Amino acid sequence: MTPKNYLYEMVRSELTWAVGDDNVQTNKADQLGHSIDYYWVPELWHDRGEKPTEPDFVVHPANTKEVSEILKIANTHKIPVTPWGGGSGSQGGALPIYGGIVLDMKRMNKVLNIDKVSMTATVEVGINTQHLEWEMEKAGCSTMHFPASIACATLGGFIAHRGTGVLSTKYGKMEDMIMSLEVVTPTGEIINTLPVPRHASGPSLTELYLGSEGTLGVVTKATLKIHPIPESRKFHAFLFKTMHDAMTAGSKIMTSRLRPCVIRLYDETETAKLVKRVLGIDRKGAYLVFGFDGPGEMVDLEMAQACAICEDGALEDLGTEAGQNWWDNRYKFFYPPYMFHMPQAFGTLDTVATFSNIEKVYWAMKNAVNENFPQATFIGHFSHWYEWGCMLYARFIIDTPPQDPNEAVALYNRIWDTAIRAAIKEGGVINEHHGVGLKLGRMMKELYGPAFTVLESVKKALDPNNIMNPGKMGFPGKGA
Amino acid sequence: MYIEDRQDVINACRFCFMCRHLDPVGNVTFRESDTPRGRALIIDRMRMDRECMKEPDFIDALYRSALSAANRFHCVSHYDETGLVLAARREIAGAGLAPEKAKALAKELEEAGFTVKGKGNVLYYGEFPALYPGCKILSGKDPGKALEVLGFEAASKKVFARFKKTVADSACKTLVVAEPSSYDFLRDKLPGVKVLHSAEYLLEQGAKKARARKAVYLESDFLKNYCGNPSAPRELLKALGYTLVPFGTNCEESYAVGEGAVVYDALNPELCQKLCSRVYGLAVDCKKTLFITASPRVRDALKKYNPAFNVVTLEEAIDAMQS
Repeated sequence: MTPKNYLYEMVRSELTWAVGDDNVQTNKADQLGHSIDYYWVPELWHDRGEKPTEPDFVVHPANTKEVSEILKIANTHKIPVTPWGGGSGSQGGALPIYGGIVLDMKRMNKVLNIDKVSMTATVEVGINTQHLEWEMEKAGCSTMHFPASIACATLGGFIAHRGTGVLSTKYGKMEDMIMSLEVVTPTGEIINTLPVPRHASGPSLTELYLGSEGTLGVVTKATLKIHPIPESRKFHAFLFKTMHDAMTAGSKIMTSRLRPCVIRLYDETETAKLVKRVLGIDRKGAYLVFGFDGPGEMVDLEMAQACAICEDGALEDLGTEAGQNWWDNRYKFFYPPYMFHMPQAFGTLDTVATFSNIEKVYWAMKNAVNENFPQATFIGHFSHWYEWGCMLYARFIIDTPPQDPNEAVALYNRIWDTAIRAAIKEGGVINEHHGVGLKLGRMMKELYGPAFTVLESVKKALDPNNIMNPGKMGFPGKGA
Repeated sequence: MYIEDRQDVINACRFCFMCRHLDPVGNVTFRESDTPRGRALIIDRMRMDRECMKEPDFIDALYRSALSAANRFHCVSHYDETGLVLAARREIAGAGLAPEKAKALAKELEEAGFTVKGKGNVLYYGEFPALYPGCKILSGKDPGKALEVLGFEAASKKVFARFKKTVADSACKTLVVAEPSSYDFLRDKLPGVKVLHSAEYLLEQGAKKARARKAVYLESDFLKNYCGNPSAPRELLKALGYTLVPFGTNCEESYAVGEGAVVYDALNPELCQKLCSRVYGLAVDCKKTLFITASPRVRDALKKYNPAFNVVTLEEAIDAMQS
């Protein structure tokens, strides 16, 4: 949209009427801030002096009614709306690739109710998740949602892409944490999903919006489960000779129906690189750490059983201290300079599969990357474990990608395509918790097959003018 | 060029979101340009394209920062984003591009003069001479810190030279400073002079427990996040009988309403009011709860936007217990 023309000024005046002058930004500082999220491509462009697409308007609604007003204005003028939480998504889901309105939700940050009887909390989803956790802790409870991006992201961002946290193995992913949602539909109606997640009154509307990445409407409020602070939480670490040995132990812990709050297994390369650098553990092999929490006696009992499983095949018992050290430094991996950074090219090939398939997926991706892209290093760890399988947090890193940004992006996309196709072939699902966004939209039809037409039909029915985050999740872009 | 010297900070902060939850301004404006990442991106753009140094929106964002070091303190590698913003401000002001309000403030601050009265071997620089019998009293405005954070480096040096001469002329070898920003500015700048924060000095003098009273100690951004978090203020208050109760939801966030930017209320009154409102909102009872701050500037701001807010400085809190 060209500033200072009739349509621009009309939209701007309507938006300021809806939310107030102070809450509609058209300045260059905020436009720059909203043109780059945590996706590698806009970071690269910025680094190389290119300018990613900026929004025309950054709008900060204070309440659901204002969100509704904004979507009605956008529908009238057929302007794209891109919801923005903390902006820390890695898939480009919050990028305003067609300009238009960025709907920055951070002003909607209130805790509305804490129900200690049912152990639920109702909150506005623009709340930063660290702030949310602090509020819950002050009330004597916890969300048990501890992602690496806890300080960066909003609850809405996690809902948008089915995010997860370190303790997901016991407390679940976002879809397990959410009870119900308030949503503004693309045409501006305000709806609520059913108040409990377990029912037989038709398909779950809550599930429809979980992971919809702002393409089907704007989630404004959520009721989520909260938990008592556990009496005890303990960790233990082992070193295994190979990743396969460690995977055997980890899957046995899960299939024996022990209930760890976390298991994390680093492959030999990541153990040698990152575990050494961040935790100072200098060993050859695969590092496995797990933890239990809850009443003290139960924790000790389950911990003893899990340790017995590991002692069978482990190279070395690293003990509780090495486990606690990992927990204490669990976020350190993601701070500079420990996190990968420019000029490196890097991507997280987050994949989930059953225990029967997960190692096949790992090797298929690793071989595909190593054989086709010798300049890339492939590393991985397994986090977020379930009774049936786990998630592979695989990453590729290229220390010196091409200087030309177009060449660098082409190489980056080729690695993604190659690795993802290898994973899908072995029963992997891309992905587990980072979402689809802009990065993986092109793979959605391949991943879903004919089932994707169902999602496309839902999108078309709910958002006839295609204003909501166009071009994401594999849905059509603006003007398509 | 100052910002080029901070390339490591630019590289670390421009794509990093890990401390954004602690930016006091970002937490009240909700704007991306009011986060460490947002400011680092702006400065990086200025570095790549010098014409962007003239962009009023970019300049405005950099002068909106409260320069809280809570973010730096939180970062596991302690990247100095506030130092990066100060470097950018020096370049902006050096090029004559500072906001008009900052220029006007700088002009006022440049006029600062300093005088010494009384007798003693210890020189006290603050607003509460009655607590310092036997000390010489140094009077005057800001010693150059405010000009420094506004980016007016040369003017800051001139004012500091006047301050330094005044201290030298006093022949005192110990300087006691009450305002945390001045303490931070002066503590390494006066060779041969021992610089103490007022709480350190008063604790050394001995404090007697008067009566029990609960209070919230609003941590000073400068003392906690810039000066190694000396224990003296809390020890002193406890010795006097104050029981310090926690405030807010965490111990990381700065509730110091722009203290890091020294003259924040003068430069950005609307934002300072928002920062104060956040503190009022977190207080269970603004009138009944006693709040204690090390900084007279923080007290003034909190009182300005809610005269009923029960806040005193450390020195006033000590005086209240002793009198």
